[in-house]
Amino acid sequence: MSSLAGTATLLRQSVRDRPAILVSIVAVIAATLCGMALVVGIGVSVPKALAAFADGAWGSPYAVAASINRALALALVGLGFVIAQRANLTNVGGEGQIAVGGIAATAVALYGGASALPVPLSFGVPMLAAVVAGGIWGAIAGVLKAKAGTNEVISTLLLSFVAVWILYGSVQSEALLRQPMTNTATLPESLEIPDPTKLPLLSANADTPLHVGLLIALAIALVTAIALERSVWGLRLRAIGLNPVAARRAGMRIAPAIVLVLFLAGALGGLAGAFMLQGDQGSLKARFSSGYGFDGLVVGLLARGSVPGVLAAAALFGFLRSGGINMELEAGVPSAVVLVIQGLIILMLAGTAFWIDSRKEGTR
Amino acid sequence: MTDEMAAVFVGSSLRLGMPLMLAATGELVSERAGVLNMSVEGMMLTGAFGGAIGAWATGSPMLGLAIGLVAVLPVALLQAWLSITLRANQIVTGIGINILVLGGTTVAYREILGRHNRTEIPGLARWSPPGLGDIAVWGDAVFRQTWLLYAGLVLVVLAAWVLRDTAVGLAVRAVGSEPRAVDKSGLSVTRVRYGAVVFTGLMSALAGCFLSIGDIHTFTEGMTNGAGYLALAAVIFGNWKIGRTVLACLFFGAATALQFQLPAMGVNVPTALLIMLPYLMALVAVGGLVGRQTAPSYLTRAYVR
Amino acid sequence: MLAETVPRPAETPAPVTAAPLLSLRGMSKRFGSLQALADVSVDIAPGEIHCLLGENGAGKSTLCNLVFGVYRPDAGEMRLAGEAHRPAGPAQALAQGIAMVHQHFSLVPDMTVVENLMLGQSAGVLRRRDYAGRVEALSREYGLALDPYARIQDLSVGERQRVEIVKCLMREPRLMVLDEPTAVLLPAEIEGLLAVCERVAARGCSVVLVTHKLAEIKKVAHRVTVLRGGRVVAQSSAPAEEIGRLVRAMIQRDLEGLGAGASAMLGEVAAGDDAASAAAPQQKHLETPKPAADETLQVDGLTVRDAEGVTRLANLTLIVNRGEIVGVAGVEGNGQSELAAVLSGMTPASEGRFFVRGREMTGASPKALTAAGVGIVPEDRHAVGCITAMSLAENLMLNRLERFRRFGLLDRGALRRAAEETMQRFDVRAAGPDIAFSGLSGGNQQKAVLGREITTEDLVFLLAAQPTRGLDVGAVEAVYGQIRAACERGVGVLLISSELDELLSVADRIVVLYRGRVMGHCAAEPGARERIGAMMAGHEA
Repeated sequence: MSSLAGTATLLRQSVRDRPAILVSIVAVIAATLCGMALVVGIGVSVPKALAAFADGAWGSPYAVAASINRALALALVGLGFVIAQRANLTNVGGEGQIAVGGIAATAVALYGGASALPVPLSFGVPMLAAVVAGGIWGAIAGVLKAKAGTNEVISTLLLSFVAVWILYGSVQSEALLRQPMTNTATLPESLEIPDPTKLPLLSANADTPLHVGLLIALAIALVTAIALERSVWGLRLRAIGLNPVAARRAGMRIAPAIVLVLFLAGALGGLAGAFMLQGDQGSLKARFSSGYGFDGLVVGLLARGSVPGVLAAAALFGFLRSGGINMELEAGVPSAVVLVIQGLIILMLAGTAFWIDSRKEGTR
Repeated sequence: MTDEMAAVFVGSSLRLGMPLMLAATGELVSERAGVLNMSVEGMMLTGAFGGAIGAWATGSPMLGLAIGLVAVLPVALLQAWLSITLRANQIVTGIGINILVLGGTTVAYREILGRHNRTEIPGLARWSPPGLGDIAVWGDAVFRQTWLLYAGLVLVVLAAWVLRDTAVGLAVRAVGSEPRAVDKSGLSVTRVRYGAVVFTGLMSALAGCFLSIGDIHTFTEGMTNGAGYLALAAVIFGNWKIGRTVLACLFFGAATALQFQLPAMGVNVPTALLIMLPYLMALVAVGGLVGRQTAPSYLTRAYVR
Repeated sequence: MLAETVPRPAETPAPVTAAPLLSLRGMSKRFGSLQALADVSVDIAPGEIHCLLGENGAGKSTLCNLVFGVYRPDAGEMRLAGEAHRPAGPAQALAQGIAMVHQHFSLVPDMTVVENLMLGQSAGVLRRRDYAGRVEALSREYGLALDPYARIQDLSVGERQRVEIVKCLMREPRLMVLDEPTAVLLPAEIEGLLAVCERVAARGCSVVLVTHKLAEIKKVAHRVTVLRGGRVVAQSSAPAEEIGRLVRAMIQRDLEGLGAGASAMLGEVAAGDDAASAAAPQQKHLETPKPAADETLQVDGLTVRDAEGVTRLANLTLIVNRGEIVGVAGVEGNGQSELAAVLSGMTPASEGRFFVRGREMTGASPKALTAAGVGIVPEDRHAVGCITAMSLAENLMLNRLERFRRFGLLDRGALRRAAEETMQRFDVRAAGPDIAFSGLSGGNQQKAVLGREITTEDLVFLLAAQPTRGLDVGAVEAVYGQIRAACERGVGVLLISSELDELLSVADRIVVLYRGRVMGHCAAEPGARERIGAMMAGHEA
């Protein structure tokens, strides 16, 4: 019993020292309760909705694997957000960066001869194309900021809209990525990408479609954590984010840093697109990014700058999304309810940020 | 291009640009006072929803308009409370509100009107200035618009005058430039900023109503579809001056009008490209390719005494 | 409570014939862990000029902000003309007839004088012409020349202060509080300001003048209250005769014992001055320079134009020799910031060049300049010099972090040790190197920034801009001590300061900057004060 009490004290202490965690937990719970209230308001029975939710989120090994796969894409976008946030840059262009990544990966997988390459390259090259494409999309905003001082929130957002419409356009036209129209009912989407370009599964069992992206994402998370917290580069990034003028005076070069950081954020978004294409969906459809970008943004915000936070939040939202989809299918609850929950979480976290920061101690 | 097409183009440009003008003017006032509202999109959607449901429920578009305006108040006050009193990150809270409103209006719409999918919503009447409406060809297409368009023009001109030549406008301009000066002169920075945000909300709601009960006479989920962000871009394009901002909105409206114009003229441009056009223009604008930007010094910065 | 610091009741000034206009009793205010004011009691009589004397950090500004309603007191009572005075904000204080001119002006830069005056004063439609008329009337009455339609950003600092004063006078106050008004003025303008104070007092409005300059006390003060460490330590009804006692109360030391720069800070040329300069090994240079081999810094025809095309520095040429302190005199806003920005590599020069030890450094990056041995202590350390949210150690090593890189990662132990060394050497007092920089006092922050710049590897040139602004006497002494020590090691120093007296006692040679041009230069002798003052005001040498 004493060890339990000891654990409780430790928990309480760590939460008290880090009010941010407590607030995040409270926010998620409160928002979920509001969501449930909305469900009641619609007239769906809460137990039925919750059952459908649980079923879709973790009801079977397939569901769990699918949730984790979803979480991977969110984690990547969230990591990109956190990296950019270190330099005081806010990347809200996740949707567009995913889209651009998806387009590049599809093009290379279908028409770039990637399927003819030996195994790690056959899926690796399309992924690389996605990373580069997403990175460039992010870097555009970086260059605009560095050269013209353009607020990156507006530019990444506008770029996101443009990219989504580029995606739409590219799957509408046979000259681009649309599959050949055999009849009028042919959907506007690309052909399915060849098997060698898909991400290999971790287990032979098709019932648990957990793919190799999990390992890649975890590796990236580890590298990011070390780079941000322990490296000289990470410290410099923090300096640039806190006071770019003083950082410049101290010999740091601001413009390249801004472009690099937004490139990285975009690249991770592009990679998320590759995961979604090569790990999940298999072909490029018009509504490809379907909100993953904004979900990733929320994940990044929830994480409050910490990499473990990104992973935890991504897992949460991955399961949330899976559950939400099933809730709509089985219980008739519109997925818009999940939007409401997300919005509330964002507002609660943002609203308490000042209070949290003022409670942090002065020592590092 | 025939005369008819030209007339339709001009009329469409005005019609499509007007909601942007309303929202952008409202947002300009907030930004001059130092508050950035990314939630213009959400406030427009709230107005559109409130106006549509109100008109449908009461049968009167005027009442619908009123309800739309009332509906936006809690949203605007929420944004103000978060940005000004809680000193939260203005960008993050704006996006959060947009997501919340999108979710909320979608759920509410499906609940209320979901079963009546093809419901006709009573729309605002059309009007045209005496005489002008009767000009051959041009009169009908260009001048016969929702009366809200003309009211909107009046509002925009009024806003410009108030901003420049009244004590209230002076206070708004000063708060975004040097809030300390305002504080030390005895005025309340908080009150001025709250007022500015509420004004933005009301104007955005009008813009939203324009879309739902003025233009299309219906409500669709997420119908603002990024117009709020275009309004924000227009303010930046306009360098925070009403005249230039209005011009920017007209440009964006024209770009959107081209979507329908070019195919009608037989020019075959992929729809996606046309839909993208306003956003690309906005990107060019914010990229500083149209001259130096002089934003209000205290934009997005909370004021602490 | 130490006996020495508690004022004797006999210090309380004998009540004058009229009842006091403003009466403060037992005022206390705390900010976090800092007790800014403790048990302060002061009486201000109607129509008097009452000076609040104390060094930086003594609590003078805080007391004024309490009276003006910017802050609320933790304890104590204020009575205005017998009535309780508890303003919730500046609005109430203004309504009660109290007006204040702060150290940092609250003017909207891109608006005109008239618009600034109308802010908070008018309602409905703006009547610019009416206000312009009122401005002109007040200008004439008090001798404050102003163009009502000028934009604030086009005005000089002295002119902006006049706008602030007119803003106060327009409200016909009973009490006017001026917080360190002469810190930003030309010597000639200071006279003008003091004359305005006398005129205002003569018309029945009390004036509270916050200052640390003894000369001003001698000229205009009717009564003086001395603050130290947030408490009242002395008061006087005949200040001109009791300067020595007041100084001792203010800094607990005698004027004679202070180092040259420190005594100059108080506006007094102390006896110790000549001794200090006699002890200095370097010679004084009257005209231009020794041969090039000894030149640490050579600036040649430097011109800087800002984003709007306004020329901020015009064809500037100057030289700093090895081991020499060259003072740049001039009121804020005459190109000093631009000079510092160019020399630190933050702003490109529009024309002209500069050389450090013979090597051209025009257009070099901040990193290259640091590598060339250039150290810069910026005017606004919070904006440019440090990152307040980072730790002391990180700030101390901010421009040389690569020294602590091991396999790409930061060696925190080595960082800490290096920081402790610098802290020791420069007497930076803090709980530890990992404390957030924002937790240090102003004086320690400045010592830290100075320490970082002086420990630049192979330092050859040091630029210090307004290094003693806002510091207490102890910190001022430490700063000038370190600068002098660097000089003795052969470093050339360019000292930019608007404190003429400090420059006269610390520098070897003075160059005067006016509107971005060098008006002239001369040796730094007390006798040159008049000449330099004239040059600072734009009169040719």
